[in-house]
Amino acid sequence: MIHQSDEGPGPATPGDAIKIRARGINVFYGAKQALFDVSLDVPEKSVTALIGPSGCGKSTFLRCINRMNDTIAGTRVEGRVELDGEDVNDRSIDPVVLRARVGMVFQKPNPFPKTIYENVAYGPRIHGIATTKPELDAIVEKSLKRAGLWSEVADRLQQPGTGLSGGQQQRLVIARAIAVSPEVILMDEPCSALDPIATARIEELIDELRNQYCIVIVTHSMAQAARVSQKTAFFHMGKLVEAGATGDIFTNPRDGRTQDYITGRFG
Amino acid sequence: MTETSLSAAQTLRKTVEARLKVRHAQETRFRAYGLVAIFIALSFLAVLLGRIVTQGYSTFVEYSLTVPVYIDPARVDPADISGANFDLMIADQVLARLGIKDDDFGTQSSKVMDILSNDLGFQLLEKVKASPALIGKTVTVTGPVRADGALYYKGEIKRSTPEDERKLDNAQLGWLDRMKATGMVSSGFNSGFLTRSDSTEPEQAGVWGAIVGSTMMLLVTALLAVPIGVLAATYLEEFAARNRWTDIIEVNINNLAAVPSIVYGLLGLAVFINWLHVPRSSPLLGGLVLALMALPTVIIATRSALKAVPPSIREAALGVGASKTQTVFHHVLPLAMPGVMTGAILSMAHALGETAPLLMIGMVSFVPGVPEGFTGAATVLPVQVFIWENASERAFHERTAGAIMVLLVFMIVMNLAAILLRRRFERRW
Repeated sequence: MIHQSDEGPGPATPGDAIKIRARGINVFYGAKQALFDVSLDVPEKSVTALIGPSGCGKSTFLRCINRMNDTIAGTRVEGRVELDGEDVNDRSIDPVVLRARVGMVFQKPNPFPKTIYENVAYGPRIHGIATTKPELDAIVEKSLKRAGLWSEVADRLQQPGTGLSGGQQQRLVIARAIAVSPEVILMDEPCSALDPIATARIEELIDELRNQYCIVIVTHSMAQAARVSQKTAFFHMGKLVEAGATGDIFTNPRDGRTQDYITGRFG
Repeated sequence: MTETSLSAAQTLRKTVEARLKVRHAQETRFRAYGLVAIFIALSFLAVLLGRIVTQGYSTFVEYSLTVPVYIDPARVDPADISGANFDLMIADQVLARLGIKDDDFGTQSSKVMDILSNDLGFQLLEKVKASPALIGKTVTVTGPVRADGALYYKGEIKRSTPEDERKLDNAQLGWLDRMKATGMVSSGFNSGFLTRSDSTEPEQAGVWGAIVGSTMMLLVTALLAVPIGVLAATYLEEFAARNRWTDIIEVNINNLAAVPSIVYGLLGLAVFINWLHVPRSSPLLGGLVLALMALPTVIIATRSALKAVPPSIREAALGVGASKTQTVFHHVLPLAMPGVMTGAILSMAHALGETAPLLMIGMVSFVPGVPEGFTGAATVLPVQVFIWENASERAFHERTAGAIMVLLVFMIVMNLAAILLRRRFERRW
């Protein structure tokens, strides 16, 4: 069942394959409806930014992609989210497998209260990706390197992950997500708890990672959306107002609400 | 214009300052209330502990008599060693050493026997039984003075009390004085109180049986209540759906935690004894009843510890693809462990001091030994206190305080263990 919203899915960046295809998403938290008929295409190997004022449903949409909404009691999701053409809400899809394919980085850095090594090794270990110590060591090193954290923590892998600075913790969390070789990485306001320098570091990292992963990022900062994303979707009051190439949205928004938001008239 | 605004600012400041005095006074008052409350609480504690210690410390002082006894072949028949009156032989020996001649009716020696523990006679009997070659030789025995004699040494029985109102007459007090003066009686640490079990003779009664009984019973309680309680709480908190049934269960658990403990005793009597035929007054039975009693507390403590684990940890684990069970057992429960441990140990400490339900299930019996396994008859520390407190002999009351001291030490050790365990688990972040 495919619903087409008024706005419709925004045009993908030319030449990019579609990784995630969402159609007619309605989300209810109990009696309250949080998302109204959202349809959006997310291109492969690029960064898609979801922007909009607080409570507009952008995080809710993000959590539909890896079914994190399942974990909240009383939540109901309608519609279809396809990952490579497969419906993620299908009965045959195990959320555990889905979440290994679709990694997630949260607003507040949330490393496990364990060692840095354990934080990264946990995912591969529970999924059985690596069983021997050398394999695991290799994955930990590779993931930390890719997250740009290796040089800072190589000599203290056995120290607690919670002892790192906020920016380092967030990169550790990204390394943890990368360690299970996901296809998609969802980031829910990953820089909102960080200082500008740590933010810049994460943004650089996102830019590097986009060569390999499909990244969806929720952000409050329009400047950040403009800097890191290739595609932007603007949410307002639970509806997807407009989606398109980032350049187009910021220079030439079609909807008045988008224009008002990006020029700072509300938000 | 400027003047008026200036004066307005000044009035404002004055109002604030006037109010400030009231606020400071309020703060000082509340601090004083707090200090007074703490002082009252501490003085109650000091009075309680002080009374127990001043009453009980003398339990740990023992007066023992050492006397060489000649095993007269004329009085001991090698064929019937148990038939010999060793008590009388010891009493005669003591009389001889005090230089007193007994009359034909043996009144003096029976008065001596009243101030010596029959433990001496038993010791002699055991020795001679073990090697009959001792007959005709001199054997030295050491044993406690009878409880009343010890009470006299400790000043509990006074000479100033009229003779017919005390248990020992003037002659006996005189002997006790001389025995002490001549070095026949010496005082020392009463290790017997910690190594012996209950006895009908106060000077021979100890708490070892009760300590072992308490330990065994707590073991049963802990092995049942902690795993069942933690798993039940984990299921209710992490897995169960929130609906009317779980609400009903929650309300019931909270109510059960407030049920008077004696009701659990009645339940134990009806279910475990009358229906399941668990041997009465056994550590197993006591442990079962106390496990029922501790269960709601363990569940409530575990649930609140689980609630305190930040949801971000659950999201993190679920986000990397951990299953619900993995999330709970790899991350949430280990983080909640310090809280779980504290709850568990506090409820165990509570169970350790529980008396009422145990009275209902027949643990209030006289058990003169260490329990023979989990189904053997046993007594436990708080019940031992109860039994001794009800005893008619005055010397038992001193033991009551001594047993309370042992119980308190037991509890302090348990609480220390709780703190250490907590630290250990916390260090693992």
